[in-house]
Amino acid sequence: MTPDQTRLLIDHLDENLRSKATAPPDDIIANDPEAEKEWNYLSLAVDAIKDAGLNQQVAAVRTAWKAGQAADASSTVPGVTTKSRTPVRTLYRYTLRAAAVILIITGSTAIYKYLSVSSASLYDRYYSSYSLNTARGAGDTDLISQAYNAKDWTTVRHLAATAKPHTNQTDFLAGMACLEQKQYDEAISHFEQIIAVNSHAGTDYYQDEAEYYLAISWLARKKINEAMPILEKILTDQHHQYHEKVMKMSFLDLRLAQYKENK
Amino acid sequence: MKAEVNYTDVELIAAISAGTDLNRAIQFIYRQHAEATSAFIRHYGGSEQDADDIFQEAVVAFIDIVRKGKFRMESNVRTFLASIAKHCWFNELKKRDRADQRHRKFELGRDQNEPDIAEHISLLERKKQLRDIVDSLGESCRKILLLFYYENMSMKEIVSHLPYENEQVVRNKKYKCLQQLTGLIKDNPAIARQMQEIIK
Repeated sequence: MTPDQTRLLIDHLDENLRSKATAPPDDIIANDPEAEKEWNYLSLAVDAIKDAGLNQQVAAVRTAWKAGQAADASSTVPGVTTKSRTPVRTLYRYTLRAAAVILIITGSTAIYKYLSVSSASLYDRYYSSYSLNTARGAGDTDLISQAYNAKDWTTVRHLAATAKPHTNQTDFLAGMACLEQKQYDEAISHFEQIIAVNSHAGTDYYQDEAEYYLAISWLARKKINEAMPILEKILTDQHHQYHEKVMKMSFLDLRLAQYKENK
Repeated sequence: MKAEVNYTDVELIAAISAGTDLNRAIQFIYRQHAEATSAFIRHYGGSEQDADDIFQEAVVAFIDIVRKGKFRMESNVRTFLASIAKHCWFNELKKRDRADQRHRKFELGRDQNEPDIAEHISLLERKKQLRDIVDSLGESCRKILLLFYYENMSMKEIVSHLPYENEQVVRNKKYKCLQQLTGLIKDNPAIARQMQEIIK
């Protein structure tokens, strides 16, 4: 094949392609097997180019489609209605989103809980003043009870220190006055004194009150390891005067605060 | 943003044959059929990348078959695409020497009512080899040949797309590039011999 013959074949091939005809140029290849072979190679080459072009075009659409899928998965465009590919895929996506939201909320709550919970915060949550009128001191007309009802904490402590005889009631009211004045160590001493006296005498005068407020005082002192055994004892004792109150406490929070303090 | 277009099988075949908006037709094929076919490939041991590659191969083969008027509508498009993809994947597994293990599973997964696509499948591997030869051409040659033979651009249009002085320069360049490609194919007689069947 001369270069001119080859060029002639190529020109003929191009014209054929543009007119969508595929017949070989009979006048050139009729009696020339070499020309026929060249024609076949040229046709083969053009077919390969077309296939490569189609492959390239499909690859471009595939890339765009994959990018669209990735974008769909990460966000939705406001104001644009996108047709779902299949209901199952959509449901799957929504489920994943819902799970992600729940996970984020749960995680945030857990983090907030972890950061916010402490002995001090639990003390603030569970401490409530002791009301003498609604308990066994109701009706008392002695000076210490009057001072307590008047919330004169300094006088209560002074009277308790000088009281004769010294009783569990005077110790308890003095302990509560100390708690009100945030004198936690003194409060703890008073409540422990009541428990010790009852233990020694075999009595239970102000025992339940002393136990509960002792635990609360330990929380105030940020010593939850001291408070927990007392609270657990009250929790297991259904006849304890403060059982219902302790039942309402969150032991999850107490354990969390204990974990933080023991770290 | 272009609106999504939906086609029936008949409309899709017509759109591909006309070739006026092939991108939309391909987009529809991906939107409608990629997931199911890819799931099949993944089920039979393919990665996501494998599934994407095989489906692309199936789409190229399908469009080529339609363009040549050889799609006879004996099965629907989804079934046809799935069949091509399955065979492509089976061939790929054979190449990876995992055929023994997978073949039984594959056969179990075959639908006995699958269309007979053997005549098309036998050409796919050879086409891939030819595609590799085209890829081995230089960038400028590949571009000029693609613009002329695939995009059907005139010499004048190619001058505006590529950095050539005039149409005659483009014509000469295209001539040389086609000869170069033909030479590469001739250097691979096994491919050349096999591919004679395609152009007959």
